[in-house]
Amino acid sequence: MSAEVELQNVSIAFGNFYAAKNVNVKIGAGEFFSFLGPSGCGKTTLLRAVSGFLEPSQGKVLIDGQDMSGIGPNKRPTSLIFQNLALFPLMSVADNIAFSLEVRGHDKTSRRKRADELLDLVALNGQGDKKVHELSGGQKQRVAIARALAVEPKVLLLDEPLSALDLKLRQKMRTELRAIQQRVGITFIYITHDQGEALTMSDRVGVMNDGELEQVGSCYDVYEAPCTPFVATFVGENNAFYGKVEKVEGGKVKVQTGGSSFIGQAGLGLDKKNYKFKAGDEVIMFVRPEAISLKGNSKRTQNSFSAEVKTIEFEGNLKNIFLRSAEDVDIRFSVSSSSDTSGMEPSKNVYLSFSQDNAVVLPTGALALD
Amino acid sequence: MKPNLAIQAFLGLYILIFFLYLFGPLVIMSITAFNSAEFPAITPWECFSFRWFNEGKIAYDGQRLAGLVTDRPLHEGIITSLIIAAGVVTLSVPIGMAAAIVLTQVNSRLRTLFYSMSIMPVLFPGVIIGISTVVLWDRIATLGGDGFISELGRNGIFLTILGQTCFISTYCFLIFVARLQRFDTTQEEAALDLGASQSQVFLKILVPYLMPAIGSSAVIAFLASFENYNTTVFSILSEQTLTTVIASKVRLGISPAISALALVIICLTLLGAFLYEISRRSNQRKKDRENKVKMFSEISGNRLVEEQPKFFKIPKSIFVFLLLLILAVLTWQHLIKNNMYGAECVEKAEASKKSNFADQLKLLQQNAEGVETTDESEGNASRSKGYNDIFGDQNLFKDFGGFDTDKKEENENGATRSNEYNDIFNDPNLFKNFGGFDKKE
Amino acid sequence: MNSFYKKNGPVIATLFLVAIIFWLVFLIVIPQLYMLDLSFRPNLPPLLRGGPDDVYTLTHYKHFLYGSETSKDAYNYVDIGVFLDTIITAVLVTIINLCFCYPIAFYIAKLATPNTARLLVLALVIPFWINELLRSFAIRILFAGEGVINNILLELGLISTAVNFIALDIALYTGLTYAYILLMIFPLYNALETLDTNQLEAAKDLGSSTVRTHWRIVIPHAKAGIASGSTMVFMLTAGALATPVVLSSPNTYWFTQLIYQWFNMNDNWSRGSAYSIILLVVSVTFVLLMMRLFKVTIGEVVR
Repeated sequence: MSAEVELQNVSIAFGNFYAAKNVNVKIGAGEFFSFLGPSGCGKTTLLRAVSGFLEPSQGKVLIDGQDMSGIGPNKRPTSLIFQNLALFPLMSVADNIAFSLEVRGHDKTSRRKRADELLDLVALNGQGDKKVHELSGGQKQRVAIARALAVEPKVLLLDEPLSALDLKLRQKMRTELRAIQQRVGITFIYITHDQGEALTMSDRVGVMNDGELEQVGSCYDVYEAPCTPFVATFVGENNAFYGKVEKVEGGKVKVQTGGSSFIGQAGLGLDKKNYKFKAGDEVIMFVRPEAISLKGNSKRTQNSFSAEVKTIEFEGNLKNIFLRSAEDVDIRFSVSSSSDTSGMEPSKNVYLSFSQDNAVVLPTGALALD
Repeated sequence: MKPNLAIQAFLGLYILIFFLYLFGPLVIMSITAFNSAEFPAITPWECFSFRWFNEGKIAYDGQRLAGLVTDRPLHEGIITSLIIAAGVVTLSVPIGMAAAIVLTQVNSRLRTLFYSMSIMPVLFPGVIIGISTVVLWDRIATLGGDGFISELGRNGIFLTILGQTCFISTYCFLIFVARLQRFDTTQEEAALDLGASQSQVFLKILVPYLMPAIGSSAVIAFLASFENYNTTVFSILSEQTLTTVIASKVRLGISPAISALALVIICLTLLGAFLYEISRRSNQRKKDRENKVKMFSEISGNRLVEEQPKFFKIPKSIFVFLLLLILAVLTWQHLIKNNMYGAECVEKAEASKKSNFADQLKLLQQNAEGVETTDESEGNASRSKGYNDIFGDQNLFKDFGGFDTDKKEENENGATRSNEYNDIFNDPNLFKNFGGFDKKE
Repeated sequence: MNSFYKKNGPVIATLFLVAIIFWLVFLIVIPQLYMLDLSFRPNLPPLLRGGPDDVYTLTHYKHFLYGSETSKDAYNYVDIGVFLDTIITAVLVTIINLCFCYPIAFYIAKLATPNTARLLVLALVIPFWINELLRSFAIRILFAGEGVINNILLELGLISTAVNFIALDIALYTGLTYAYILLMIFPLYNALETLDTNQLEAAKDLGSSTVRTHWRIVIPHAKAGIASGSTMVFMLTAGALATPVVLSSPNTYWFTQLIYQWFNMNDNWSRGSAYSIILLVVSVTFVLLMMRLFKVTIGEVVR
């Protein structure tokens, strides 16, 4: 059984500080939804409001269409996996998993049976009698998942549960989490500041900044068609060219930046419609590092510019090249490691270009901090 | 930081002296428990005996000195103390726990006030807590008429439990506060999220976590109650606890039976410390082993080489034991050589003391007759009452010339004299020194 | 209050509240307040309590200062003397304890190896599980006319006749110093243990002498421990009853013994209460003084 979760105009204030402001989102039943945002953006607060540890100052949390206000965490059909997992150190693994059944008065044998089932589900068969501290990090993770699933919740809430693991294990657990979600088929609401996690696992992502939900959409949308400069820079890398609108032609916008002018697509707003720009508007044009390509000659074409190479970074499958354009814009572009970069040496000038389809023009606004 | 040799030597000496100061008096007191003489001392050594642990003795002057086994008031005192301690534990552990838990929940302004109030009883002198409990409950009892309340308000055991709970709860409170500071509150939230009710969270998560604190605060509360004198002496009214029995014994003339009691307590303490240390070490070893297993399971390959356990490891404490053993054997040989142990020795010493005492008494009577004619009765009184009044006054004592006859005997009496100095509360004459102390009757 | 009930559930919340109110109100506040009230009332037999004679009066406090109405002295020299004696002795005992314990605490906390330190701590604790009365008794045996100390001094030829240590109050002072020494060591030890050893090494490296290092670095760091230990020792010494009962000479009174007299011998409870209040005021003043002097909070004093 899964349920849909709806947040209606949810604001959560601590004194005069708003941890969440006017959040509206509808998460479908059986969906894997991620809240993505930097630390301190209010995503954990939002999760606590869904699980019932906090009451929203304004607005409503609906689960399966039912208003949850006044209903405590122990009465909601949700289960929360804590950032530190919060396993009970004094109980065995099986007792941890069956705790929710214990407090509901189930007898010992049925508890044990359910615990074993769940241990199977998370691939920990036969580890039920161990103590929690005897497990490794990844195993603890799975126990926490099994414990949260024992009550058969309609919604599973996960508060950055993978943050304590090392990289390899984290990547493995992503796949596993996704697999578990598909097996049990319930709604997962996942919180993370790691865009890689959010993009690989989720059906949809909500990007948060400063307590506000900036964009909700599929992973593809969020990456390819960001609505705000924050989303554009927080999700993945982006090159930002500040400038003024020179002219607008259909969906295309010509932007004057410093000495040169580039053409890009007008971005989509929250309402899924293209932004309407007019000449003279202050805008930012975003170009992904992988959309930039090396141009063999210095011939001036559309969307081309010259820049001086600063450093080259090797990152396994990619090479990141950092440059500074003639207009003093820091540029970063990536090529696959196998491509030839012999002509690129620090302090050399190179010519770059990008396609106008890969450039997104958005109104000015705050960028994500590096 | 490594101090140089001179400072090290000085420090070592200092520590030695310090521990000598801590333990010396206790060791000497313990030894006196085995001397059969009436006064607890190492010299003169009369006979080695266990009488103070067993039956005690009837002194040469007819005074009955009880040993541990025959001392009825002491036994009753211990039982009363146990009852009180049990009461105090059952009250103060839950109070301390409740207060500590609530402290974590109140907001910061209230927390300071609450914390200050909770630790106040430790800063009150114990006598004051005893007194305030008694005066309040006496008033309650008076107002309560003749019924149950009146009886309760004048019941020493009940009042003592209340008085001690007042400050022992603070000890428990502090123990719980320390433990709760390390509590991960997300565990409570996790349990709540999994559907536990608030009571279930308390019983299944918090209480198990606090179990070690519950154990240690119960032990501390028990011991603190068992040892308490300052509060108890006021609130106990007409009853007697172990400490008030000891106090009255010490006041009435010190006897080696008290040394014997102290030795028993010291042995129990040492045993407790020993068991504690053993359990701590075995826990530590268990933890080490677990860590090792975990380390081996996590680190693959042969980066870790298991240490070969040493088969023979001589603990250093063996040397201390050996030293003590040698000392004991030497002492025992000395005792045997000088015939200073066993029933025979005791009998001999008794006989000699008895005859000495008879001689002395005769002399005393002769002298007294020489000075005053009515002294006969006072002599008798002093004999039966154990010198209280005579020896209380130094000058009076000096006037009697008759004690010089036997050097050894004088020492004995000198010792007794100092015993009785303490008896301030029993001597009505002493109060006269103070302007306003006469009773208003 | 509402959130408190919500957080703990109705049953547990009620139990908590009952326990805390029982303790704070019925065991701590009301008895002290009642004693304070009683100290301002004349000493009446129980039946006259609440009657027309039961009025507020300063008579007991006046008695402490000026003596009984029949006495010829301008002031109550005896009681005030006992009081000052008690306070001064308690201060001296505190200072002696502090000086005596500091090196030990420093050694255990900073110089000893962890194993040695643990054993020493255990060894320190053992004597203090033994009743205060019995420890005082041990001191008394030591200082008796025929006791070990007299014998040693005689043997060494330092004295020609036995010294009456008890009449001279030497036994009492030793006993008081002995009684609460642990309560000085432990706060000091706890405070010193948190001192970063690197600081000592840095100071030494910068050429500071040992004394200077202690004065400038160790002692300021141990401030809270010193305040805490001093307060505890002072309070317990000034309020001691067991040790003076065993060790004081007949001519020496401890202030608590005066209180005891008014209570149990003379049945004058209100005067006993008044004297108790005087002791309490001194104790509280001392705590406040320590807090002010060392700039620590009450939470740091009691730990």
